[in-house]
Amino acid sequence: MTEREPAELATGLEAASGPAPRSLYVHVPFCVSLCPYCDFVVYTGRSTRGPRSRIDAFVGALSQELELRADIVDARFGALGSVARRPLDTLYFGGGTPSLLPPASIAALVQVVRERFGLATEAEVTLEANPGPDDRGDATGFADAGVTRLSLGAQSFQDEELRTLGRRHRGAHVADAVLAARSARIASINIDLLYDVPGQTLASWTDSLERALALAPDHVSLYALTLDDPDAEGLTGELGDHLPTRSGARRWRAASRRRQDDERATAMYHHATALLAGEGWRAYEISNWARRGHESRHNLAYWWRQPYEAVGPGAHAFDGTRRRWNAARLEGYLAALQPPDGSKPILPPGSSETVDASTAAAESMILGLRLDTGVPAELMAEPALTDAFAWAKSLGFLLVDGSRVRLTTRGRLFSNELFARLI
Amino acid sequence: MIPQDRLRNFSIIAHIDHGKSTLADRLLELTHTIDARQMTSQVLDSMDLEREKGITIKARAVRLEYTSSRDGLVYGLNLIDTPGHVDFSYEVSRSLQACEGAILVVDASQGIEAQTLANVHLALREGLTIVPVLNKIDLPSAQPELVLEELENVLAIPREEVILASAKEGTGVPDILEAIVARIPAPRGNPKDRLQGLIFDSHYDPYKGVVVYVRLAAGTLHEHEEVRLMASGAESEILELGVFRPGLVPVRSLSAGEVGYVATGLKSVRDAQVGDTITSAGRPAAEPVPGYQEAKSLVFAGLYPLSGEDYPLLRDALEKLHLNDASFTYKAESSVALGFGFRCGFLGLLHMEIVQERLEREFGLDLIASAPSVEYQVVLTHGRGTVAVDNPSRLPAANDIEEIQEPWVKLSVVTPASYIGPLMELSTNRRGAFQDLEYLDPQRVLMRFHMPLAELIVDYYDQLKSRTAGYASMDYEEAGYRPANLVKVDIMVNGEPVDALSLIVHRERAQSTGRVLVEALRKLIPRQMFEVPIQAAIGSNVIARETVRALRKNVLAKCYGGDITRKRKLLEKQKEGKQRMKRVGSVEIPQEAFLAILRMGEG
Repeated sequence: MTEREPAELATGLEAASGPAPRSLYVHVPFCVSLCPYCDFVVYTGRSTRGPRSRIDAFVGALSQELELRADIVDARFGALGSVARRPLDTLYFGGGTPSLLPPASIAALVQVVRERFGLATEAEVTLEANPGPDDRGDATGFADAGVTRLSLGAQSFQDEELRTLGRRHRGAHVADAVLAARSARIASINIDLLYDVPGQTLASWTDSLERALALAPDHVSLYALTLDDPDAEGLTGELGDHLPTRSGARRWRAASRRRQDDERATAMYHHATALLAGEGWRAYEISNWARRGHESRHNLAYWWRQPYEAVGPGAHAFDGTRRRWNAARLEGYLAALQPPDGSKPILPPGSSETVDASTAAAESMILGLRLDTGVPAELMAEPALTDAFAWAKSLGFLLVDGSRVRLTTRGRLFSNELFARLI
Repeated sequence: MIPQDRLRNFSIIAHIDHGKSTLADRLLELTHTIDARQMTSQVLDSMDLEREKGITIKARAVRLEYTSSRDGLVYGLNLIDTPGHVDFSYEVSRSLQACEGAILVVDASQGIEAQTLANVHLALREGLTIVPVLNKIDLPSAQPELVLEELENVLAIPREEVILASAKEGTGVPDILEAIVARIPAPRGNPKDRLQGLIFDSHYDPYKGVVVYVRLAAGTLHEHEEVRLMASGAESEILELGVFRPGLVPVRSLSAGEVGYVATGLKSVRDAQVGDTITSAGRPAAEPVPGYQEAKSLVFAGLYPLSGEDYPLLRDALEKLHLNDASFTYKAESSVALGFGFRCGFLGLLHMEIVQERLEREFGLDLIASAPSVEYQVVLTHGRGTVAVDNPSRLPAANDIEEIQEPWVKLSVVTPASYIGPLMELSTNRRGAFQDLEYLDPQRVLMRFHMPLAELIVDYYDQLKSRTAGYASMDYEEAGYRPANLVKVDIMVNGEPVDALSLIVHRERAQSTGRVLVEALRKLIPRQMFEVPIQAAIGSNVIARETVRALRKNVLAKCYGGDITRKRKLLEKQKEGKQRMKRVGSVEIPQEAFLAILRMGEG
């Protein structure tokens, strides 16, 4: 399952099993500094600045991967312009800190995407950015490059909490970043916040949330600080999609876990849910709220189990039956796509798994239940699922209205308890 | 065929890690029983578990053909391997009964250990000739002079009889082979008499039925012969007979003094028990050979399938495994908390662990073991007699009990003298009574204690090892019953008594044990959707209480981006965790919780 993908799979000669992807994720693995809680593939320091910067080489490699992936999509679905190949609806630059890339690089990448995958007129093009002055980049440049949505990793408005989290910016910087984005006429702005942070109180959380809302964003993502161990999950091997956790981060996580508190986290979630509902926000996913029409279409594609393409180290793609990912290590990625000996570029190392029918059904249900649209209520009558649904219903986790069943706020907080019974 | 006077039947006895399996490997190699290409280390320990744990669990036999350099004649040497752990002295004695001699292996750097003593006494009791071998003389830490002196002083083995060897390097191994031929007597028994063969082991083969391992005491067994098992009365025409080379190699006949196997074709475990005598159906022997005493179970625990539907599978698995290992016992029982299962008796705690692991691995079962217990004798009031209780939850009500008696053991510990203090403390804390102390050499002593078996089985062995940096060794034998001031402590989870967690403890220790146990359970029982109180009680009197706080949330509220695989795997892991839990009332209890009593450390 996690062997390096056989060459014949990567040639795209298998039959098309569903529609061509209409979403594309681009992973940019560079940050100015490392946040100890973050699991994403990130390189810092000399990789990002100065004479040893690998950013230019990386942008070249990304373009190369885009070309190779596009070749496969062409082979499976026909060239761009054929009936089965509608242009992309969403493009997402995630990281890392994609705002570290010069706007010209973003523009160049968008151009490759436009040429090889197509980009619909109303396409959502998201760029993740840090709010700090030294890494938020030039919003106008990004807007000119085609970015329509900016996602700001604010995390908190309390400087003390930001220091705890190892963030470089201050609370006040978030307002500057939002203002810059608005001036650049970026249509949609998201603010990420974290709860269950060591040292955080219900009062400081409320304050951060209110200060975020005062900036009138279009979307907020509220994530519980989750301190995982990718090494223990077996994700950091040679072809794994994660880098090994640095020892400092490991120690930080161990110490911080002891300062987390489920009770407090639960109160924070309930409080945020009530506050946002009161102001007319739509809680369209467990961790995501939007003003009407500003739901993240890119993330919805994940939850609706639609196919998506992906490029960059550690990036995950899905073609309807197979989940594929690139290995995390930048060296291997660059070596494959920008061979130092000038030979022909090849696809970067990675692995994949094929999702069988029953797993696919379970995934649909679980991803669907994360959304406020829920899943069809007739699923509750499936013999294999009735016990789990009845159990969840008796505990007040479910709301059945008409043809759909969805999670209540309490149900969202215990969603894993239900999901583990459904898979 | 090799004549009887050129047969030798022998075992190798040794303390664990003194090099028994390595020596067996060398003997196999030197006699070309296995060629060097096929040689894997510890050939005879073929069970995965044995290699993992580095111990021999089951006895095994192999036939070596050896050309003696003394007379140039070919000798048939039957090596009957023996287990090497303190729990398995019963298996050792069984193997020894099929032999005329034993090679005693002593590590030249470690010297005599507790099991060395115990095994030598077993061998002498069977009247076996002992061939002493000082092994590992190549080690820089070897002290051959000191150990030779020990053997002389403690076991009265003259130093000139001892062969110096290094099984690892092969030194001395030819001398050992010669000594087997020269010193161990040939078996006796008339091949023309009526057939008598002692079954010393067996295994089940799906095609050949019950395959018994026999040592023929008299007579000759031919292929296709109609045989009878004297105790069970079962008869069958044998499908195959042969010798161990070390795989099963068919031969046309086996006669008095020989060791081999007989595929009986019998399908039922009960028809061909270890210890029974095999004879000819047409011309049966008048009497069976003396069999074995039944293995005595010292440790008892309930084994329950995690899922109730697996009960019939567990029953079949126990029946099949029992054919391979007659030294455990089982009888059906039921528990309010765990449903239907079996009360099993084991030779010791390691044996219990091994049986459980074999059931899980070889039969694909998921099991829960209840806390281990010893067997108590309970004298009832008003002269209503005595009942045996091997399950704490079955202890009669307090006002029906006149007296409770518990089993004691005689414990021998061999240790460097510097650890006398810590071991004295450990043993007396476990209600042990010190008996005496004997110097084996200036640095090492043999200490003897009397101790309640219940105190020994918990984690005495682990504590012994950890307090002596692994240097001390132990062995024990039964020493009858003694009255004691014992009470039953019940555990209630969420207000419901969980019978499988009940335990019997000394009254003075009840309070502290109860406290430690509920604390351990609080850590082992995961948070549920509601608060779960855990209480320890004597009768209706609660002596300790802890609470597992309610679960507040369980949600993936993190950005994993498009990495759905990781999300799903985390959920699958949670699901797996839930499946390995037993639902008692409305609380899900993990398997480990039932063994919490063993993990309490120094309670």
